[in-house]
Amino acid sequence: MKEEVKNGHITIDPFSLDQVNPNSCNYRLGSVLKVFDKFDGNKSVFREIKIPEKGYVLEPRKMYLATTKEVIGSSKYAMSLIGRSSMGRYGLFLQCSANLGHTTSKHKWTLEIVAAMPIKLYPGMIIGQVSFWKNYGSVEKYSGRYGFLNHPQESFALDKQENYDPNRK
Amino acid sequence: MILTGNKIIEEVESGKIEITPFDKNRITTNSYDLSLGETIIRYKAEVIDPKVETPYEEIKIPSDGMVLNQGDFVLGHSNERIGSDFYVPMIHGKSGTARMGLFVHVTADLIDIGSHGVTTFQLYATLPVRLYPGILIAQVSFWVPFGDIVLYKGKYQNSTGPRPSMTYKDFKYDIFKKD
Repeated sequence: MKEEVKNGHITIDPFSLDQVNPNSCNYRLGSVLKVFDKFDGNKSVFREIKIPEKGYVLEPRKMYLATTKEVIGSSKYAMSLIGRSSMGRYGLFLQCSANLGHTTSKHKWTLEIVAAMPIKLYPGMIIGQVSFWKNYGSVEKYSGRYGFLNHPQESFALDKQENYDPNRK
Repeated sequence: MILTGNKIIEEVESGKIEITPFDKNRITTNSYDLSLGETIIRYKAEVIDPKVETPYEEIKIPSDGMVLNQGDFVLGHSNERIGSDFYVPMIHGKSGTARMGLFVHVTADLIDIGSHGVTTFQLYATLPVRLYPGILIAQVSFWVPFGDIVLYKGKYQNSTGPRPSMTYKDFKYDIFKKD
């Protein structure tokens, strides 16, 4: 990873050598948090807050959106965005079974945070890790809607009728 | 690249993979089944603050089982000591476990290369579930790394039972690193 950051094939910005693990790189929590407010009948509505320096307590069984503090991406590798065992041991989910980062996407990843127990989070704390995977086959450039956004982003899944048309090509 | 069950057997025999105790019958096509040890850790704090050590209690699962209620979160451990200095282990639930709504890890499936010990399960129940000591609850797969290997020397090395989070140690040293 250190080598590929230097070669420009992996972006982790800002990058610090002491965040590198044997098979992954740690990322930190950005300072913007979107807190679930209500379900409006079609989709969830979130309220945006800035996580105070003294910390913010998450409630169990709610879902929060945040981002990595770092811009993370790769032109060459696929990525897996996971938590750290230290946070998993507190019951903190960093994503909802959507760990796969597409090759060529590059942004501050949106984290889908779920707490099994009440837990206090601090802005900038080391909260998760990302690993990089070699591709097998030629790579098509990522063409999704999320992979370039740097703000916690709610789902676009139901924005357009064609997205849930079963006959969609 | 992921190892097949046959390759896992070969590498346990050659010493490149540690699984102790090892039973060939627990090999699957691409993994090895892990059983649940008898010790459970339950945190005893209203709110977890990663900056400070969280109090907890240790409980033994009785032979007639222990019920996790919906929403309960506890730590368990594998009976097996696992690790490798050559391959990267990853923890997965067994599909039978998942079908009961039980998570065995909380978005932390990756085990560092060079880490050895019994693994800590992060057990989160989305439905009530009864756990028994020794049930096959999870599985471990092994992956070929790409690049030079630097072995793990972290704070959870050589675990012999469930290990609570030690983030308070991180906060002492490297938290809030400024850019």
